Amino acid sequence: MEIENLALDLDEIREKYPDNPLEFFEGKKLCLFKACLEKYFPGVRFGMKNLLEALGLEVTICKNQSCCSGTFFQRNLITRAQFAAINERNLNEINNQSDILLVSCNGCYNSLLRGRDFLKIPEVKEKTQRILDELEEKMGGEKYPGQYKILENPKLRIVHDLDFIYLIRNEIVRVLKYDLKGLKVASHYGCHYLNLERDRDMETYLKDKTKLEELITLFGGIPVDYSEKESCCGWGASQIVIHSEDALKITYKKLKSAENVNACFLLMPCPTCLYTLSKPEFREKMYEITDDKLEIATIHLNELIAILRGCEEEQCVSLRRSSPRIHLIYETITNEE
Amino acid sequence: MQDTSDEEWTYDFLESLVKDVEENKNIRQCIDCGKCVGGCPASKISNFNIRKIIRKILRGDRNVLKDSDIWYCFLCERCKRVCPKENINIPLLILNLRNESFKRGYGPRYNDLTKYVEMSEKFLTNGSVLDEPLDGELPEERVKELDKICDFARIKYVFKASDKEQQNRKKRANNSSNKKRK
Repeated sequence: MEIENLALDLDEIREKYPDNPLEFFEGKKLCLFKACLEKYFPGVRFGMKNLLEALGLEVTICKNQSCCSGTFFQRNLITRAQFAAINERNLNEINNQSDILLVSCNGCYNSLLRGRDFLKIPEVKEKTQRILDELEEKMGGEKYPGQYKILENPKLRIVHDLDFIYLIRNEIVRVLKYDLKGLKVASHYGCHYLNLERDRDMETYLKDKTKLEELITLFGGIPVDYSEKESCCGWGASQIVIHSEDALKITYKKLKSAENVNACFLLMPCPTCLYTLSKPEFREKMYEITDDKLEIATIHLNELIAILRGCEEEQCVSLRRSSPRIHLIYETITNEE
Repeated sequence: MQDTSDEEWTYDFLESLVKDVEENKNIRQCIDCGKCVGGCPASKISNFNIRKIIRKILRGDRNVLKDSDIWYCFLCERCKRVCPKENINIPLLILNLRNESFKRGYGPRYNDLTKYVEMSEKFLTNGSVLDEPLDGELPEERVKELDKICDFARIKYVFKASDKEQQNRKKRANNSSNKKRK
C-alpha cells in the first residue's frame, strides 16, 4: 500500500476548472481544522467559515479532532509513531465526515502532511498501526467509535487556507464589500509555508511566494517589499520560550523592517506567527530591549477577508490581543465615504 | 573549516542517531557547502552552526549532546529546503540529537521545561495545548484515546534534565559559598 500525502492537487483543479475553480468544491463537504492558537484569534476561523457560507459551500468542524500534536513532536515528547498515530486518529475522524480539510495554520498543515510522510517508513508504519490496534483493546466498550486504521486511499484531501483562497480569489472578490483603499501591506508567509516541500515541487515553491502579494493587489492594496520578508517570526518551535530575548531580536528585526517601508500592516496566513508578532507582552519586552516602540499592525489573511466582507469588528479581530492600530485599519477599510 | 583526514571519520554515533530515519540516510554525503548556515535564524542569535554540528557527529564526538547550541535550532526547515543533497533532513537530525541529549539528562533550564509539562497536561485534559479551546473541549472518551496513544513517557527525560539542573545549581551554590568562606 502506498501512502499518499493527501495534499489537494491544485494544478489538477486549475486544469479541470480553468474559468471557475470554485466549481470543484460545490457539493463537497468542507471541514475547518481546529488550530489551537485560533483560540486567541477567533476571527481566523470565523473569517473562513463566513466566506465559505457566503460562497454557498457546506462547512463543518470535527468535534473529535485533537491538536495536531506537532508541538509535542517538536519538543521531543512523543515518538514518530505516536505522532503519526495521533495524526491518523484525526484524519480518520475527519475523513468520516468530510471531503476537504482546510487548514489555517502553517504548523498544523506541516504536521498533517508530516504524519503521513512518516508512514512511508515501514518501521514507523508498523509501530503506528500497532498503537492504533492496541487502542481498540485498551478502550473497547460502547463509547469507542471503532478501530482506527492507517487510511488507505481516503477521499479526504488537505489544503492550506492561503492556497485555497488564492485558487478561488476571483470568486472571493465578488463577495467582498470593501477594498483595501490603497493601503500599503507587507507579507509574511511563515517558515513552514515557505520551506515546506511535502506538497509541492521547486517550480511551485517559487510560484507560491507571490500569492499574498497578488491577493493584496487584487483586494485593492499595495504590496510592499521589505528586507526581512523571508525571515522567521521568532516563534522557532518554542525559541520564544526557551531563549526569549534572543528570539525576540528576530521578531523585532522583522517587524521593524516592515515598519521601515511604511507598511500599514503585516499580512500572514498563520495564527502561530500572528501570536508571536502581535502578543502585547512580546511587544512590551521588545520595547524594553530596544527602547523602540513598534506600531505596525498584524492581521491573518482570514481576518482580513472578514473585514473586507464587512463583518462586525469584534468578529474579525480579537480586540483583547490585537496589535496596535487594528481599530484604525478597520475604520479606514470600512469607511463608506 | 579545518581540513580533516579520512581517518578521523567514525560513523557509530551517526548510525545510532539516524537508525531507521530514512530522511537522514545521506548525512554522510554532506558536502560542507554551508548553504544551511546562510539565513539560518538560530545562527543569527547564537553560536548554532549546523555545519560544525554535522562535522562533530561524523567524527563521533558525543560531546555535542551536552552542547547548548543544539537547543537553539528554530526547526524552520529552511536548511532542509536549501540543502543540495537528497535525504538530508537537518531539523529531524536536531530532534534526534535532542532526544539523545534528553535521555542523558541534558537539556534547557528546568523553568523552561515545565511549560512542556503544562502543555502536555492540557492536551490530555481537553485535546488542545491551551485552556478552554475555541468550540469546546474534546469529548472525555476521545481524550482517553490520546492518553493511550502517547502517554508522554518521554516526560521522564524532562524530569531527569530538571534533576540534573537542580543538582548543578546546588553544586554551584555550594562552590560559591565555599569560596566566600575562604
